[in-house]
Amino acid sequence: MNITANDSGTRGLKLGTTLYALTNEYLSRRYSFEDLLAQTAARGTGPGLEIVGFQSIRGFPVVTDEFAGRFKELVARHKLVPTSLAINADQEIRRGRVMSDDEMVAYHEPQIRAAAKLGFPVARYQYGAGPDVIRRLAPLAEQLNVKLGLEIHAPQHANHPDVIRYREMYAKVRSPYLGWIPDFSSTAKTVPPSFLEFFRAKGVPESLISMAMEIWHGDGDAQTRMMQYKERARGSGADELQLNELSLIFPMFGKQDPRSWLELMPEVVHIHGKFFGFDAAGNEEAIDYAALLPLFRDGGFSGYMSSEWEGHMYSDADAFEMIEKHQAMCRRILAAKPT
Amino acid sequence: MDYIASMQTSRVISDDGLRATPTGYRIDVRLPWYRSLPISTVEVGEVSIDGRVIDPSRVKFELEGRSYPLTDMADQVDTVWFVLDSAFLDVETPEPPAAGEHDVSVTLNLYPPYIRGLKRISRDRKTMRAA
Repeated sequence: MNITANDSGTRGLKLGTTLYALTNEYLSRRYSFEDLLAQTAARGTGPGLEIVGFQSIRGFPVVTDEFAGRFKELVARHKLVPTSLAINADQEIRRGRVMSDDEMVAYHEPQIRAAAKLGFPVARYQYGAGPDVIRRLAPLAEQLNVKLGLEIHAPQHANHPDVIRYREMYAKVRSPYLGWIPDFSSTAKTVPPSFLEFFRAKGVPESLISMAMEIWHGDGDAQTRMMQYKERARGSGADELQLNELSLIFPMFGKQDPRSWLELMPEVVHIHGKFFGFDAAGNEEAIDYAALLPLFRDGGFSGYMSSEWEGHMYSDADAFEMIEKHQAMCRRILAAKPT
Repeated sequence: MDYIASMQTSRVISDDGLRATPTGYRIDVRLPWYRSLPISTVEVGEVSIDGRVIDPSRVKFELEGRSYPLTDMADQVDTVWFVLDSAFLDVETPEPPAAGEHDVSVTLNLYPPYIRGLKRISRDRKTMRAA
């Protein structure tokens, strides 16, 4: 079995961009999909290129020959490397009715075929797919030479019960086409200060923010801490809408030890370099890249990390510049000697 | 569960998105989410013009030239709203549309189909001159 056919370039941790980071630029219609590819190349924020199927491709999961041909032409012209196609586990497109496993298999299959058709070596999938559905799709992944990578995102993490179910299935199936995509949101050291600034600007009182942060840094899983926070916030008479909006910090940012990724390292197929903002020294404000990147560099990972700015949810800063800063930081950390 | 109002992904009403029609108004709306969704997961909430809430039976949702009563949207599992496209709300008003500026408010509720139990509410309000 040849599983290296889709690998390209040198070994080690390589950089790239996910167009998800450029959501605001794209949705504002200031930059088309093709413009985003051109900008990514011109600014040197490739060569890795990740896209979200349902964002970038009209008619997805159907990919026309015309679109696929044009995409391959652009990728070649701009010297980009397709890394991961983000696919979705839309289990409830009919509200109030969850798809059966058979339906979920059928829903994923064309998305995985789309990845193959466009030349993506990895399809990012979501945990809502379910381990049985992914187990059934493994032979197709092998046949198409597309690895299926579970995105592990806060509030989940390497040892979360939902992820353990997949780890148990992977251990039984033992397919090199089943892997992981760590998202650094699971291993943050705090809530991004820029996110808290956004809440302050909206008039959320400092007392509510400090209460939330004290509980965020406390013990318990995300759900437990969020409930604890809501109860205390309600007890203090906080505005219901404000307290609910701020409660997002519990599912959005996990505080697992960066070293928790080590257990998954041999099967990591791609990385989401999640980030929000930078401190004065040019370091990510909430995620400890100096601790994270050497783990992957020295842990044997070979593949791409997408710069995934998610500050676009609450900031209209220039995402291109944010990605450039992120990659400058990553290059600086990766170039430093192993400790 | 509410989600935070955010940037492009919170915008519902397009700039200059109001047009007068013989029977009322036509509002250009965007999908307040980062990716395309089937319209079965999109719900048109309150629509008001100049402070008057429009009866939902007087509002139709139009996408790619096809018009849907709001009550039919939940069944449209195969009709996808591509994230770059505008959709339109055709609003019937009791009186013919008036000249000048109008205060328009639209709420869209999304039920992202991979996040069970999430109802994401986006409310947008704009003062616009009807084209």
